[in-house]
Amino acid sequence: MKTKSPFFIISVLIGTVIVTGLLSAGVGAVYVSPVAILSGEQSFLFMNFRLPRIVLALLVGAGLGISGAILQAVIRNPLASPDVIGITKGAGFAAAATIILFPSLPPVALPVAAFLGAGLVTVGLYLFAFRQKVQPATLALVGIALGAIFQAGIQFLTVRYPVETNAALVWLTGSLWGKDWSDIWMLLPWILVFFGIAMFLTKKMDLLQLGDDVAEGLGESVRGARILLLLVSVVLAGASVAIVGTLGFVGLIAPHIARQLVGNKHVVLLPASALTGMALLLVADGLGRGLFPPTEIPAGIITAVIGAPYFLYLLRRIQKT
Amino acid sequence: MKKSNRMIAMTVFSGVLLLFLSLFFSLSIGAYTVPFSDLWGGLTGTSSTEAAEVIRTLRLPRALVAILIGAGLAVAGAIMQAMTNNPLASPQIFGVNAGGSLLVVIAVVLFPDFSPSEIVYFAFIGAALGGGLVFFAASSGGGMTPVKLALAGITIHMFLTSLIQSVVIFNETSTEDVLFWLAGGVDGTNWGDVQLLLVWVGIGLLIALMFSPSFTIMSLGEEVARGLGQRIALMRIVASLIVVLLAGAAVAVAGPIGFVGLIVPHIARKLVGTDYKIVLPVCALFGGILLSVADVLSRFIAFPAESPVGIVTALIGAPFFLYLAQRGGQAS
Repeated sequence: MKTKSPFFIISVLIGTVIVTGLLSAGVGAVYVSPVAILSGEQSFLFMNFRLPRIVLALLVGAGLGISGAILQAVIRNPLASPDVIGITKGAGFAAAATIILFPSLPPVALPVAAFLGAGLVTVGLYLFAFRQKVQPATLALVGIALGAIFQAGIQFLTVRYPVETNAALVWLTGSLWGKDWSDIWMLLPWILVFFGIAMFLTKKMDLLQLGDDVAEGLGESVRGARILLLLVSVVLAGASVAIVGTLGFVGLIAPHIARQLVGNKHVVLLPASALTGMALLLVADGLGRGLFPPTEIPAGIITAVIGAPYFLYLLRRIQKT
Repeated sequence: MKKSNRMIAMTVFSGVLLLFLSLFFSLSIGAYTVPFSDLWGGLTGTSSTEAAEVIRTLRLPRALVAILIGAGLAVAGAIMQAMTNNPLASPQIFGVNAGGSLLVVIAVVLFPDFSPSEIVYFAFIGAALGGGLVFFAASSGGGMTPVKLALAGITIHMFLTSLIQSVVIFNETSTEDVLFWLAGGVDGTNWGDVQLLLVWVGIGLLIALMFSPSFTIMSLGEEVARGLGQRIALMRIVASLIVVLLAGAAVAVAGPIGFVGLIVPHIARKLVGTDYKIVLPVCALFGGILLSVADVLSRFIAFPAESPVGIVTALIGAPFFLYLAQRGGQAS
């Protein structure tokens, strides 16, 4: 299936990310051409408004892409993603509660709360899905159920406190709007460290994909590996969502595009998923800024509109899941 | 499994009793507590106090709307579960609610002058589109397992929801109302809504009952049903029509209310077996009870302010879903 070497494809992906980054940087309420950016004109606008968004899109895209790739290995279902197993919903509920109930807290509190929310879902997943046999199907369904509970919580908050809701609403659709360098410094260490850990665990993911029996036969503790990988995945998704809000579909489709390009080996698949996630988010954010300036469409809506048709196409391709 | 006639009779009897009980609470409890004398006076039209007026114009239509919608959603869920042989099938997971909501929101934004009786057609179209999309997604590439249906359903749901959100974002003026509506609520409904539901839910329930023997056969699985001479394609069309009528009308009046269509059929089958001639009426009965009880509870969440009933059904229903999930979606 693979005709090109992984290095070639990774290089092409890196090139794509750079080009989309440059194009995306130019788009917005004020248009700046890529040449002007590279030559250093407009550097104030670029450094203070456009560049932080680009960097953030890179970090978040990478975080969600890797998180999705890990999760699809853990649940062994190509339809799994951080969004559907409730992680983003838990983070969303905690963040909405913080925005609405404690508006006086410093901005730092928001990502912390979102992160805790994602953690809460993980505890729920552990309690309900891991205590017995660790069936991948059970994990997915339990995640969906937990997501529904937190969704009810979010709806309660938005209806009960309509005045404070608008701020929460933008967050809940997932947007890179209004982010600056401090957000990036907060996110960067999480993504870097846990990307490193994930790369360290790629062998385990390869084994899990062979099926529980084979993995166990090869001496892998399936249960332990699942829990460990799930944790890494949650941290990556939780940290990303904590900063930009519940941005869907990137964690679902980035790993698929990557898998089609580089195959199933996780050593290559994880970096490829990260790069694909970056490119996707750059495009989504760029389109969101560029389609109807000065109105901004949250990136989360664009990723959903791009992602859903791709998801349908994907379902038709997957012969058995 | 066959249940004794005694069990069925007991179930129906206690169901009717519960329905009247919940109706009584629904009429008397709320931001404004109605004393019993006024309750009776309001219902019979012999009293014209303020409380009696509240009963006639607000509480009674609201209670009836809750019962009708609950009945419709539960029967829709039962039919979906019978047709797909999938314990997780329900209007919500099948994208029927979200699809209906999307078109209703679009209709409300584009044609603000439309009355509910016109909006309902948009809900039908949307319900059909959403359901079709999820069915297409979940059944492509082999069979429709519970996990596949759930993942496909939730993903399509997310897609439709973000389309709704973009409509809301571009139309900031009515955000608050739309958000309340999107959580699924029966407060503020009137006699017009009751009439609308009586027509559409009535037609839907009637068709459902007419075809109930076929649903019993379909619930044995498609292979068996085909072997017994069931016309699968025809049944699919009939079932879709019923679901679209029942769930679409519910969405048009009260917004997307989840989990009623998921839970009630399971309870009904536990109580009265798998003969859909009995399962469907029992579903209607218990669906009505569940939603009117949930409606009463919703008045307490943020007392004296109203909360959407959809939040209560989600809080009751999600743990039940969790229970089904722990069994890998393999429950009866």
